[in-house]
Amino acid sequence: MEFVAFIIALAIAYQALKGYRLTKQRTLWYVHFSFAVLSAGLLIDSLTGFLGILARTFRGTLSLTWIGYSIYFLAQLLAYSMLIYAYVSQTRTLGTTSTTIPLVSLIGLATLQITPAQGIRLLGPLEYHPIPEIILLFLALYIAVQTGMNYSSTKDRSAFLVFLAFLLLTLSHLFFILQPFGPLLFVIGHILQLLGFISLLTMLLRVTRSQ
Amino acid sequence: MRIYVDIMHVIQREENHAKPTRILYGANLSYDRLVKHLDELKTLGVIEEVDDHDDRFYRLTQKGIEFINQFRAVERFASAFGFVI
Repeated sequence: MEFVAFIIALAIAYQALKGYRLTKQRTLWYVHFSFAVLSAGLLIDSLTGFLGILARTFRGTLSLTWIGYSIYFLAQLLAYSMLIYAYVSQTRTLGTTSTTIPLVSLIGLATLQITPAQGIRLLGPLEYHPIPEIILLFLALYIAVQTGMNYSSTKDRSAFLVFLAFLLLTLSHLFFILQPFGPLLFVIGHILQLLGFISLLTMLLRVTRSQ
Repeated sequence: MRIYVDIMHVIQREENHAKPTRILYGANLSYDRLVKHLDELKTLGVIEEVDDHDDRFYRLTQKGIEFINQFRAVERFASAFGFVI
């Protein structure tokens, strides 16, 4: 599932880069950077996950999966932060204010204050990472709110698909947090994540095909 | 950049056969600026001037059509995320 998401994230990053080359708009560079980092994280996580399954089969350790998740978490943190920065910088340019900026800044600051040792503790046990997922949930929620506001003002289908994508990604983080309540929630989280990326792919095909 | 795209949009909207006055009003430009930008666009090879007897008009070249289509796709992509180009 994550390998499919990796391909889609890479396609989004490529389209954003094409747009940046054509227009030299910084926001498109941020979108490119965000999805490029996200795709790298997804690739690493899917590869280490696959190797982790092999290691488990051969009675190895799960540390590889844990390292993969840690890199993926940092990639998501950077990707979401970059997208939020793009929205914040555009809001500043347009001369309006957003009430959610202080909240996101606070989360970002709190994350930066974490020392590596604390970070390792925060990531938690090998297969369950509630604290990182809570941080990602808030960041994804901010982007979902921004894209939702964009959809409500434009009523455009592509804008809806982007909003739906980030809503599904936010929900996937919620399901990853709730996974101790049942193993099925973990699977649902992954399905929602994949559906989120499929929504982004649908948007990409829509905007590149229609003339 | 934006002004170039606006001029090219006007030409395309006029079914690729736009007289200078139509571009002037469509892109909301002064005459001096219009002449300057049309020259720049001709140099870039995205538009061409056609003199057909007394009828002078501008049209997009193949390169211009490809550029404007690409730009629109990028515009739609950015707009889907809520970014303005």
